[in-house]
Amino acid sequence: MNALKQLIKEIDSLKPVPQIVNKILAITKDPDSSVADMAEIVMYDPMITADLLKSCNSAYFNLPRKVESVNDAIALLGMNHIVDLVLIKGCSANLKKKQEGYGLNEGDLWRQAVSCAIITKDIANKQNIDNQQMLFTCALLKDIGKVILDRFVGDSFTKIFNLVQKKQISFREAEKKIIGIDHAEIGAIVAKKWNFSPKMVYIIRNHHMSDEKAENDIATSIVFLSDIICMMMGIGVGHDGLAYRFHKNALTLLNISEKNLMEIIASFGGKMQKVEELINGI
Amino acid sequence: MNIIVGVADLKVSNDPLATIVTYSLGSCIGISIYDPVAKVGGLLHYMLPDSSIDKVKAKNNPSMFADTGIPRLFKTAYELYAKKQRMKVVIVGGGQVLDQKGFFNIGKRNFMELKKIFWKNNVISDFEDVGGNANRTVRLQISTGQTFIKNSVTGEKIV
Repeated sequence: MNALKQLIKEIDSLKPVPQIVNKILAITKDPDSSVADMAEIVMYDPMITADLLKSCNSAYFNLPRKVESVNDAIALLGMNHIVDLVLIKGCSANLKKKQEGYGLNEGDLWRQAVSCAIITKDIANKQNIDNQQMLFTCALLKDIGKVILDRFVGDSFTKIFNLVQKKQISFREAEKKIIGIDHAEIGAIVAKKWNFSPKMVYIIRNHHMSDEKAENDIATSIVFLSDIICMMMGIGVGHDGLAYRFHKNALTLLNISEKNLMEIIASFGGKMQKVEELINGI
Repeated sequence: MNIIVGVADLKVSNDPLATIVTYSLGSCIGISIYDPVAKVGGLLHYMLPDSSIDKVKAKNNPSMFADTGIPRLFKTAYELYAKKQRMKVVIVGGGQVLDQKGFFNIGKRNFMELKKIFWKNNVISDFEDVGGNANRTVRLQISTGQTFIKNSVTGEKIV
């Protein structure tokens, strides 16, 4: 139990997400808000404007000319993309480091977060889901718990690994059994501390479907599926391998066939190199 | 010198100083081929079984799919005087998440498609490390033809 307390304490050592992320999430939730409201937030945040232009000019967007001002960026890319970039930047602080316990090299967790967020957005778009930016943020931060749990997973790795192999349970379930808490639960605690909405806390807690009822929730199912797709593509996969459970019902709920799944993989596969350039620029 | 094969990518080399490597295969499959006489080796990292899903992508990047990537891997090696009958062939990857059974099992589909193509073309694999929930990395050393497989469940082995 002592270790558990220590673990919760470590959450305080995370760099908090900048205010702008919460402001954006509040605006996207407000039906009366306009693009102008969003522009106001983005344009006057000095942390953001400095890096925004660099990201806009990365090969990812393949723009016909160089972007020179935030106004310019909004005109060329549209507010939607600009907000995504701001969210990516805002969520980057804790995710770039090496996670030795999980066997993730420097940048692996970050690459997974951004890839998963882009796939989430793609699926949410096709499903015509509202509040895509909220889902995008969940996908970016869903594994924040791994940053906290990393040292503990490292210390107990053999026990966790053996339990996974012997009982054929998921790596997350084994974390819970051996350490007493899993990375999704810790992620939910972090999300709550950062004042994210109850919906976001729920999605982060259930991105591996810890609560099987989450299979009936479209938003959670989208983030879950994007995460599984990243695993299949080997993105951000470490010592835990592919030892997470598949939930067919989530795909049924989203009306996604095997062919659709392959199309999503092909579509993301086609832009992986560009995503890499985007990530390196942030 | 490491020559890195990205996702949906292939590289072939006869440089004795080179090691061709591909990381983190997940459900994707890596095929390592080597002709010990010509001392030519190649490595393909494909993502999906069948190019009919997206003909445009298959044209732009044949290495994304088994049915377009595998012939290209062998043909590129032939250009450097490798011969099919001398080729050592190692298959790695095709992992799956837990509880997949037959559903949406891209790893298994990737492997089945490979088997079909090999059978049609009279290619026999010398070693396979495929399936399960492992993640894998493969290296092919051109000077020796040794293939190094790093498997997240079973550890490292040299073939």
